Amino acid sequence: MPRDISSLADILADARVWKLKDASAAPPRPVWSTGRSALDARLPGGGWPTASLIEVLIDESGLGEVQLFLPALVACQRAAIGEAPWLVWIAPPHEPYAPALAQQGIELTRLLVVRPGCAVEALWAAEQALSSGICAAVLLWLQGTDDRWLRRLKLAAEAGGALGVLFRPERHRFESSPASLRLLMTWRGGEAHLELLKVQGGRPGPVDLGGS
Amino acid sequence: MFPVAAAPRSRSVSKPATVPPLPTAPAVPEGRRTPRARPLWYAVVFPGLPDAELQRLALHARQFTSFVSLEMPDALLLEIRGSLKLFGPLTDLHARIDACWAQLAVRAQSATAPATLAALWFARAAHPADPADPADPAHRMVLDDPGQLSGRLASLSISCTRWDAARLHTLRAMGVVTLGDLLRLPRAGLARRLGPAAVLDLDMALGRRDGPRRAFVPRERFRERCDFESEIDSVAYLEKAALPLIGRCARFLRTRQAGVQALELKLRHRARPVTRVRLGLASITGERHRLFGVLAQKLTRLELPAPVRGIELVSGPLQALPADSFDAFTGLGRGGSRDTAAQLVERLRARLGEQAVYGVCPLPEHRPEAAWQKVREFQFSRTLSGAGMPVSEDRPRPVWLLHEPVPLPAPPATLEEGPERIESGWWDGRGVARDYYVAREAHGERLWIFQERHTARWYVHGVFA
Repeated sequence: MPRDISSLADILADARVWKLKDASAAPPRPVWSTGRSALDARLPGGGWPTASLIEVLIDESGLGEVQLFLPALVACQRAAIGEAPWLVWIAPPHEPYAPALAQQGIELTRLLVVRPGCAVEALWAAEQALSSGICAAVLLWLQGTDDRWLRRLKLAAEAGGALGVLFRPERHRFESSPASLRLLMTWRGGEAHLELLKVQGGRPGPVDLGGS
Repeated sequence: MFPVAAAPRSRSVSKPATVPPLPTAPAVPEGRRTPRARPLWYAVVFPGLPDAELQRLALHARQFTSFVSLEMPDALLLEIRGSLKLFGPLTDLHARIDACWAQLAVRAQSATAPATLAALWFARAAHPADPADPADPAHRMVLDDPGQLSGRLASLSISCTRWDAARLHTLRAMGVVTLGDLLRLPRAGLARRLGPAAVLDLDMALGRRDGPRRAFVPRERFRERCDFESEIDSVAYLEKAALPLIGRCARFLRTRQAGVQALELKLRHRARPVTRVRLGLASITGERHRLFGVLAQKLTRLELPAPVRGIELVSGPLQALPADSFDAFTGLGRGGSRDTAAQLVERLRARLGEQAVYGVCPLPEHRPEAAWQKVREFQFSRTLSGAGMPVSEDRPRPVWLLHEPVPLPAPPATLEEGPERIESGWWDGRGVARDYYVAREAHGERLWIFQERHTARWYVHGVFA
């Protein structure tokens, strides 16, 4: 007969439960540099966190938003072992241009481009890729989505250990989002502005990209 | 299952008529020759057999040996040296194979000899065995001693060589009727009159030269039907019903050490054409859970047009499994349930369609639109070079390329970099002559634009995202 279980502590106290490792003793997740020292300095750990969901709010492509992640993508592909170094780009606004990516050092034989038919399919594909455990990073371009799906993506990213990046238009700025990091990219007064809207473990606010 | 094929025997006569030197002494010193069993060939000729039948008979022949060669149009060669241990003495084995043809009620003439062509020629010369008395020994030539070959061949008519009519006519005009007459003639003269191919044939018949043969590999497929007692109109039940079929298919593949890359599930309805569900796999596999995973993904997306009365599972052609697919510990080190890249691609393709998942690769080409292409096949097993692709271009290239260049109404306000002249492709009719610039648009987008040199018009071709 199963005993009456009242709390997690009761379960852990049971001799039949084996604890593999103390959660607090787990090694810190790797962090990938953004390639811009001003931005790295503002992020907890000094770079993009893996196993988490990052949201980038941007209206028009062309402000260098992919460029923010390319150094990290190259680094995590190089560092990955075994079957893990796959990159999955889901519903990009245009065709990813192979010569440019090769120029930046991306391993193109480990890049998947996915063209789903609708937003739900795109979210499903992102969840599959994030939780598969073989992807170093999953980039997803979306027009709109609901909070429930974002939560699923966040859980999938945590389970699969991948870096999840979601690009959405600026109008979603005031919606709640489970992403651990939210950025806003805009063009004002002749230059690109980057603002951290939400940083788990850090301080939100504008980032001066400068010339770095 | 997938024997290494020997090179087929060439009958080419295009070379000048030189006599191949007769191998008198072994090329390798006697002491260092690898001891290898001499092959022994059972030949069977089916006079007047329809073309398509030969393959069916070859399948029957495979119960006696794994090496069966189709001798078009009407004969089979079986290598039976290896079968003697299992089936007993040679005469018994020969009689057993003959009995197989008698049972199938096909007219067959057979012979056994230690050389491919000798066996075939003996079989052609033999009288058809009497189906009523398959053990009748008078009509069978069963020979295992290569020393006796030339003596026994001598009495055969030259027509059993199946050489073309002109050659046989020449020989008859020379007064040559039997192979014995032919073997008495000098080799050099024979080669001049009949061509070197004929001399090669004689050497092969006498066992002085090998006549390599290609083993027959049956084109097998898995095909199994299942009819339901009552009609099924729910996809969930259909999935359950297909599970045993997938299991049997996986077992079928495992016993053959083979895999498939495509499967088809046919759903039969009462008064409608069959619904076909095509299942593509990203890599060759025979694993039950992968086959079923793809099937389940496809079925959840399926809208049944009508209730299903029965299903049939048909596999694509069987293919050899890649050598690394037997690793029993795959996945153990990475938490068990993690899957492979091939499975991820499969799952995505099963739901989104074959075309929806692809890779990109750069091409050595100056025209930007031709400098890349989509890739549908992924090399999952290849280990990474670590260095990436060789970078051929150090000029700025945008992350996004537009499908088609989009005309700009006015020349851009700010040009940040350029011009870079790209002039290429005049030879294939899609030539370009453009000056490329990096420009900043009013809303801040960094664009890759060009001016066509002939028309001086401006276009956007890429976006620096």
